[in-house]
Amino acid sequence: MALFRWLDERLDLVRAKRDLLDREVPARLTWWHTLGSATLTVFLVQVITGTVLATYYSASPDHAYESIQYVTREVASGTLLRGIHHWGASAMVVLIIAHMIRVFAVGAYKYPREVNWVFGVGLFLVVMGFSFTGYLLPWDQKAYWATAVGTNIAGTTPVIGAALVALLRGGSELGAATLARFYAFHVLWLPLILTVLVAVHIIVVVRQGIAARPRDLEVGAPRSTRDPAYPGYYRQAYAASKHGGMRFWPDVLGKDAVVSAATVLVVVLLAALFGAPLEAPADPTDTSYVPRPEWYFLPIYQLLKLVPGSLEAVIAVGVPTVLLIVLLGLPFFDRGSTRNLLHRPAALAGLALLLGGAGFLIGAAGRAPAGAADQHAALTSVQRAGRALYQSQQCGGCHLIAGQGGEEGPDLTTVGLRHSAGWLHSFLESPSRFHTESRMPSYGPPALSHQEIEELSQYLTTLRGREPPAAPPQFYDTFPPPRRP
Amino acid sequence: MATETPGIVSVGRRTFLRWATWIGGAASGLLAGVPALRAFLSPTFRRSREEKWIRLGEIDQFDPEVPTKVDFVDAVHDAWVQTRRLRNVWIYTADGETFRVYNGRCTHLGCNYFLDEEKNVFRCPCHTGFFDLKTGAVLGGPPPRPLDSLEVKVEDGILYARYQDFHLGVPEKAEV
Repeated sequence: MALFRWLDERLDLVRAKRDLLDREVPARLTWWHTLGSATLTVFLVQVITGTVLATYYSASPDHAYESIQYVTREVASGTLLRGIHHWGASAMVVLIIAHMIRVFAVGAYKYPREVNWVFGVGLFLVVMGFSFTGYLLPWDQKAYWATAVGTNIAGTTPVIGAALVALLRGGSELGAATLARFYAFHVLWLPLILTVLVAVHIIVVVRQGIAARPRDLEVGAPRSTRDPAYPGYYRQAYAASKHGGMRFWPDVLGKDAVVSAATVLVVVLLAALFGAPLEAPADPTDTSYVPRPEWYFLPIYQLLKLVPGSLEAVIAVGVPTVLLIVLLGLPFFDRGSTRNLLHRPAALAGLALLLGGAGFLIGAAGRAPAGAADQHAALTSVQRAGRALYQSQQCGGCHLIAGQGGEEGPDLTTVGLRHSAGWLHSFLESPSRFHTESRMPSYGPPALSHQEIEELSQYLTTLRGREPPAAPPQFYDTFPPPRRP
Repeated sequence: MATETPGIVSVGRRTFLRWATWIGGAASGLLAGVPALRAFLSPTFRRSREEKWIRLGEIDQFDPEVPTKVDFVDAVHDAWVQTRRLRNVWIYTADGETFRVYNGRCTHLGCNYFLDEEKNVFRCPCHTGFFDLKTGAVLGGPPPRPLDSLEVKVEDGILYARYQDFHLGVPEKAEV
């Protein structure tokens, strides 16, 4: 006790408790008021799990994937930890959106909380930034290709598109520099920005008090919050709303703790049951992979499928930008003093349209058939080795596959429909035997070993175009007569 | 509900919410904190690695009383990185039937020792330590303990040794 008195004299603990915990709050705060604190709790969970995951992570394309595998295989509770971080990310997006809907529905962004709404929108953007940057870190197929598409979307921005892509990727190509900067943003910049924004957001809530229920702020209110009489009215009505004798602790904090604990429990259960996905390692040479973004980016993903290509740039960049401007400007153009959503038809219609549209697009994306390339059988290890050879031998310098590569030599997009592996093997070994005027170099030993030629041939037989016919191809391979010594 | 009537605050509700704060807070902390702490501390209670048996060669290629050095490339799992290290062992046999295999590092500070053919001893060039060929015992110089002999086995005429590294510079032979 003497120690407490000593500390209190210096840190003013008793007054701090009175100001923070014992402060009176409006009567009849609902369970919906716990969503903000639940978001904060899940953020703390993300900090704890993320900090430990970062100690086992290598932000380099050479080792990122292996280090994730190391976490799941070698680190105690590593799989669970990854799962919690993965599901926690989704939970944060759900909770922050739910929190925003709650604030919207009770008109809590109106006077005097306009500025805190703007900070809140900033927090939402930071959370989406966390999702986008965190996604790349496992460096698996989904990470690589979803980020390739995501950064390409930024590239469709008028005028500054190319510069924006280079800025995001740290260069023109998605690679080591991209991973390093996404990692730095994910673990340094964004947490710093988020912490500052959260601190400001909460300080403002403490100073302004928790928003009262709409009914207590509507009776006898001037029609517009712009009315000079409104601030005076608000002060009186808000003071009157605290008539219930409710205190922040335990009346508010108790509910917050219950909902937060339940949320964390759900996240941990989802993590334990489903874990976090990890696909095959990122393979930039695999052009058949069709990436799908995480669910919260699905609306924009699906929207892009529905619009003609000429409008794509407008939609991909325009829709989120317009949405952001609407969110930021909301408290400044919505000046009506009515707070209950049910009494605000335009707001209700807008919210229903937005949520309905997003829900519809997510649903449509869920039902959409996988891309044509998905139906291709996965490559065998031999075929994959062949594909790697195709890259390392610079075959694409002269040959086209699905529009990618040089035009010097024949297009190989459907070569697997025309020739068998055996024919391709012989041809690769000595092209001039087949076509005396062929300019293709001979790849027979010692350029490539027979095994390598076979791998390459096996890979080439898999090239059968975007929509290969169901029937097996009929080859009409003709071999030149054997060479005489 | 009666508890929400203005001006009246139920004591039972308050008590419940007070407990809820503590229990809910603790539950959230534990649910995320325990796996995180376990993961963070996991290197300290890591199980030892599997045994690493090195194939040294057919036994009749080792001449009696002539030590043979065998170099081998060890594939090392360094967390999530695969690296290779060149290691070596010395093999000594008096009769071609029983073998002693010494870790190729001097027990003093880990330099690679060599066979001093004039004096017929192992000699470490760094601080001039001497070891007996037959027993690995220290014959002179600063090494604190004999050469580290390794577990050996012979299967189908092939000599194997279980490679291990030991703490250097100390009198006890303690596995790393």
